[in-house]
Amino acid sequence: MPPMLKKSLIYWAILSPLVVVILFPFAVMFVTAVRPRDELFVYPPRWGFSEFRWDNFAEMWVKTNFGEALFNSLYVSVLSTALALVLSIPAAYALSRYRFPGKGAYRTFLLMTQMMSPIVLVLGLFRLMVALGMVNNLNSLVLTYAAFNMAFTIWMLQSYFSTIPRDLEEAAWIDGASHFTSLVRIFLPLAVPAMAVTAIFSFINGWNEFVLALTMIRSSDDFTLPVQIYSQVAGRYQVEWHHVMAGTVLATVPVAIVFSWLQKYLIRGMALGAVK
Amino acid sequence: MKSFNGFKPLAMILPGLLLAMFIIGYPVLDLAHTSLQEVSRFGQLRGFTGLDNFAEVFADPLFWGSLERTAIWTVTVVGGTLIISLPIAIILNDDFYGRGIARVIIMLPWAISLTMTAVVWRWALNGRAGLLNATLMDMGLLAEPIEWLAEAQLAFTVEILIGILVSIPFTTTIFLGGLSSLPQDSYEASMVDGATRWDQFRHITLPLMKPFINIAIVLNVIYVFNSLPIIWVMTEGGPANGTDILVTYLYKLAFRFGQIGKASAISLIMFGVLLLFTIIYVALVMRGEKDSAPGEEE
Repeated sequence: MPPMLKKSLIYWAILSPLVVVILFPFAVMFVTAVRPRDELFVYPPRWGFSEFRWDNFAEMWVKTNFGEALFNSLYVSVLSTALALVLSIPAAYALSRYRFPGKGAYRTFLLMTQMMSPIVLVLGLFRLMVALGMVNNLNSLVLTYAAFNMAFTIWMLQSYFSTIPRDLEEAAWIDGASHFTSLVRIFLPLAVPAMAVTAIFSFINGWNEFVLALTMIRSSDDFTLPVQIYSQVAGRYQVEWHHVMAGTVLATVPVAIVFSWLQKYLIRGMALGAVK
Repeated sequence: MKSFNGFKPLAMILPGLLLAMFIIGYPVLDLAHTSLQEVSRFGQLRGFTGLDNFAEVFADPLFWGSLERTAIWTVTVVGGTLIISLPIAIILNDDFYGRGIARVIIMLPWAISLTMTAVVWRWALNGRAGLLNATLMDMGLLAEPIEWLAEAQLAFTVEILIGILVSIPFTTTIFLGGLSSLPQDSYEASMVDGATRWDQFRHITLPLMKPFINIAIVLNVIYVFNSLPIIWVMTEGGPANGTDILVTYLYKLAFRFGQIGKASAISLIMFGVLLLFTIIYVALVMRGEKDSAPGEEE
């Protein structure tokens, strides 16, 4: 047997238990989502079922108000990402291009807030939103997601901005361009890929967030997807599992595909931006 | 380029800084203030009580139980994750058939929100019709379905295993970053000296990977210590508080039982612990920067 083939077989053999455990919940999700309702609780439990019931998805969409939750999740994820980027781009530019008093302290502050988890502050955040009259208002999530994401977006943008040679901008100044013009005409176009990748990760963070959404949003019309799906499961005597699984398929698969595709870029921004 | 550009850079960082200070700073101060007050069920402050809330927390057996489980949860999840992730990263760093597919599969749990993962597992572990029971019965490993989440000890163990599963992708990513930076020539030199792969692992890979292992430990400790969704969605800390960790207990106190003063005190205690971990992390990062790049800051 060629050595490469032998090595590959050994490696796959070592990885296989983990691969099975990782794929198992996905299989559970799909198999349940398309299963006829009366075949959910059978004894003994089994994987097989009589027919693919694609109608489950349409039924679920109507019954669980999926469209509204989808819209709420989009609203919160898009706006919080936009807010975080608008505030992060100048900050990341300043970090990568200028020297200024307090820069070291600012970097430490960013690292600290990157590690701050909303759950530890959730009671204080809730009281803050009560004081601002923003409980049950999706904008409370926009503000908090943006604030908690900013350390990550600044860090990630900064690490990309530093790779864009500043000679290009300096050349433009010599040609008489103002700092602002060179920023808009030279720098920003080069930084678009970095901003797109950062935006997507910020979007996914908002899309997946659970604790704050569970806390701030009280009325089911304003639920985001994770809370809406959780509410189909928690504290119910009878759970419509085929609808729940159809919902998780729709809520996770598109995002999972994008994430898997872009995941290698994440290395640069996160901890590794710090470890190098 | 000029080394000092007046106040322009400060003006550029200021708007973001203000939002972060407001959204993150205000709650910390409010929690500190509230933890020293007597608070009604509805959040009204009824006057200064000194450290009464803290005394109440420390006299509460459920707090100590949750604290103990938090320690178990954090240590076992982080430990298990590291032990599994390092060999996985070493394999994924090597060249073999299907490596691209293997990478995508190993990273999949990271792409799904913890809430959804926990919801799917809650159904997969269902005591009557869960497909885990179906699988184990098909394989002849079980004669009867098991109620995986009905008993605290078993439920907590299962939750720890799922915690490990979802932490592997991030940790493996850190290790892959580290492995790709290792110098190839030391491996070649050691091969010439007749070193086995195990020797190489112990004497080259492990020492050189140490900074990455440290970072992985600290970051995972922070994330796992703070992780609510898995336990909350699967068992809500039950049955009978048997799977409560600090975050789930805190959440119940604050938003179910209306014990705001006590919840503020626990939040503050957790904030202190988190701050400690974060300082360790920042120190590690700063040390790494000093070692690796003298001319980085310019």
